[in-house]
Amino acid sequence: MSVIEVRDVWKKYRRPHVKTTSIKEAALALLRGQHGYDEFWALQDVSFEVQQGEAIGLIGPNGSGKSTMLGMLARVLKPTRGTMSVEGRVCPLLELGTGFHPDLSGRENVFLNASLLGLSRRETEKRYDAIVDFAEIGDFMGSPVKTYSTGMVTRLGFSVAVHMDPDVLLIDEVLGVGDEHFQHKSFGRLLEFKEEGRTIFVVSHNLESVGILCERAIWLDRGRIVKDEDSPEVITKYKAAVEAWERSLAEAKARDAPAS
Amino acid sequence: MSELSEVLRCREILWNLVRRNLKVRYKNSILGFAWSLLNPLMQIGVWYFVFKILFQRDEPNFMALLVTGFLPWLFFSQTIMDSTVAVTQEMPLIKKAYFPRTILPLSALLSNLIHLGFAFIVLLALFGIWRVDLNIYYLWVIPSTLLVAVFAYGLAAMLAAWSVFYADVKFIVGNLLGLWFFLTPVLYPLELVLNGTIKSPDNWVEFFLQSHLPLFKKLFVIDPLTIAVEGYRSALLRGGDVPIANPNYPFWDYAIGATVIAVATAILGQIIFRRKADAFAEQG
Repeated sequence: MSVIEVRDVWKKYRRPHVKTTSIKEAALALLRGQHGYDEFWALQDVSFEVQQGEAIGLIGPNGSGKSTMLGMLARVLKPTRGTMSVEGRVCPLLELGTGFHPDLSGRENVFLNASLLGLSRRETEKRYDAIVDFAEIGDFMGSPVKTYSTGMVTRLGFSVAVHMDPDVLLIDEVLGVGDEHFQHKSFGRLLEFKEEGRTIFVVSHNLESVGILCERAIWLDRGRIVKDEDSPEVITKYKAAVEAWERSLAEAKARDAPAS
Repeated sequence: MSELSEVLRCREILWNLVRRNLKVRYKNSILGFAWSLLNPLMQIGVWYFVFKILFQRDEPNFMALLVTGFLPWLFFSQTIMDSTVAVTQEMPLIKKAYFPRTILPLSALLSNLIHLGFAFIVLLALFGIWRVDLNIYYLWVIPSTLLVAVFAYGLAAMLAAWSVFYADVKFIVGNLLGLWFFLTPVLYPLELVLNGTIKSPDNWVEFFLQSHLPLFKKLFVIDPLTIAVEGYRSALLRGGDVPIANPNYPFWDYAIGATVIAVATAILGQIIFRRKADAFAEQG
């Protein structure tokens, strides 16, 4: 059964020539004839399906459309063209720790965050101890979040998200949250999720983790799917492509150097 | 309609945001929620000093006039001001997860409605101390508040959406509210405007006002805020008498007109908000 279905998806962003944030600027830009936009396609004609229980890694260089893809799966962004559907409870681990209000206590923030991710108050109460335990915050839960360290905030954000009992887990570059110990622990938690037959969709630059966690990988470049195969092959080819690109850069530099 | 059912489904988010707004507004203050009434009372104290003592205005019951006019006005203006940041401030939440975005202007409205409720609790306590007799007509406050709420929601929704794309909205709104305040009978009784004339106009603004005076008076009365303020006064001060005594302005006609305006504004605001909402996450 396919849990995620993405069909012919395109996503267009409009980038104003001059960023207009005020009516005056907009009026001036209009007078100068700068009202045009640069349109660019963050994703072009992307299609894939994900079966239940699959773990998929989305890799590719910066600006290739990975986060846009994840944002659309989380329903935060809308595709310009094409259709997509995600079944079951989706838990996005995007922008971890953001959305915490600095003046509220850790406890209050946990309940706010959990409700955003679709958990009821009662469900959150049941999991509250486990969430605090996992985040290793303990005594600080009653204090305002502004007194937390950055690591504590992201740990708490991660902990709330992984206690959601999700069918589909969407992860954006959070494999490196917290210190060494917490990284091991959170990675272990993701492996547990996988064993429980949940679907995992990861965006990461950490190819090693993608290789361990995911059996399948999708390589995106400038908004298009380059490869969608078993992860070892995709990762090997991606690495080779990056190396080839770096070599050509170095060669070009070497060629230009004597001339200048 | 589907939006409404989604909001109901996600009502815990709404409730959590409202609770957060309430907690954060008076953080680090000793008196806490008492400020919901203390704030307007202090403002009213300032006006009392200016108008009654400095300008020697001889309005009877001036203090009561101010309290009853200012409470619905404050609810309205505070909701509108909060709405201009209702979406922009929540960008982290918007980029984090999907939830019906309508919750954001709605939380601005509900937070301020609860502040109004606190103010009323304190006010009723004061009435108890002053031995003012309560009567059934106080309940007229409820439909009057509802009228303001529906109207405010419509404006809040459109302003919340526009503010995401234009930072200017906030500043324009602040100043327009300042004008609107004086066009609402808060500092003066309604009759002052209804009986008012412009005696010898000597500039184009006054000429313009004078030439269309009956129309402007009608617009003044049909403003949902005027109707609500007069509703409050009728309920709290005049024992439920028809809010506008002037036979040239039959109250119920204008009340129905104001209701139509409020509902139309709410629908329009919701349509504008919905059309913009999909692009929120793409902005800054």
